[in-house]
Amino acid sequence: MHELSIAQNVLEIISEQCIKSGHTKIDSVNLRIGRASGIMPDALFFAFNAIKTDSLAAEALLNIEEVPVTGLCNDCSHSFIVQEEYILNCPVCKGSSFQITSGRELDIIDMEVS
Amino acid sequence: MKVKVVTKILEANERIARENRRLFDNAALYVINLMSGPGAGKTSILEKTLALGTGLRIGVIEGDIAGSDDAERIEKHGAPVVQINTGGACHLDANMIYEVLQDLPLQDLDLLVIENVGNLVCPAEFKVGEDIKVMVLSIAEGHDKPLKYPLMFQESAALLLNKIDLAPYLDVDINKIKKDALSLNPDLKIFEVSCRTGEGLSAWTDWLKKKALKNQKTADDKD
Repeated sequence: MHELSIAQNVLEIISEQCIKSGHTKIDSVNLRIGRASGIMPDALFFAFNAIKTDSLAAEALLNIEEVPVTGLCNDCSHSFIVQEEYILNCPVCKGSSFQITSGRELDIIDMEVS
Repeated sequence: MKVKVVTKILEANERIARENRRLFDNAALYVINLMSGPGAGKTSILEKTLALGTGLRIGVIEGDIAGSDDAERIEKHGAPVVQINTGGACHLDANMIYEVLQDLPLQDLDLLVIENVGNLVCPAEFKVGEDIKVMVLSIAEGHDKPLKYPLMFQESAALLLNKIDLAPYLDVDINKIKKDALSLNPDLKIFEVSCRTGEGLSAWTDWLKKKALKNQKTADDKD
């Protein structure tokens, strides 16, 4: 719902890092977005492309790696991946005590500058 | 040339949330981030909480897209209140809170309630420096909500199921709400309440009071 403000954060962070590295143009940026982060990649692409004009990232290509939701069962110790955006119980033993081990990421990994 | 960034996109928000946290800790202030969809009864629950007299000195930050109706309702109960208008933004973020903290007598408060913008999605994603998140779901919203909006249920320490007096008139399966919410978050404390009849509210205020006082004790121990 707030992909635009996420896109603005991304643009601010990468512009700052680009200047710090002594470069003037961002060619691409790689993000890692968890499926349980509440952020829809399509909406983020749309927002980023809309605001990148007139910035160091005007021609930058946005790449998003989606991270699935994974868990670790506290009862049977199995690690598992779910297709949904949430975990209700362990698919192996059906236990309801688990830790979410991935899927909440909202990270900038790296970028290409020139 | 490849540049490693490895930064959380919301790092700026989290940095300000930590600064808010520091200010709250300095004032030994317990802070709850109160969230729900629009119309679930956040402000009514706050009004009832203030009227029931917890013995706590409570301050309130009201977050709304527009208008000051909620702040006016809270002001009538004599609590210090600040209204934030987000001007369209779907949630409160740490910086919006930081900017109004100077307008509240933090040192003279025991509990600060931050009433977020009515929205079941985004408020759960932004830390503002709170101790706990508390959510309200009115039973009229339907029993499908925990699985449709899992994040808020996962993030909350307590769930108030409001408008419980409407149960005889609705086809909603309250047990399913509770079962799904607990599956998402086994530690979730659930209160069935009605602001209209007063049912269940004292269990909620007792719990809240215990939480806030425990926080003060921990702060005193640190001194």
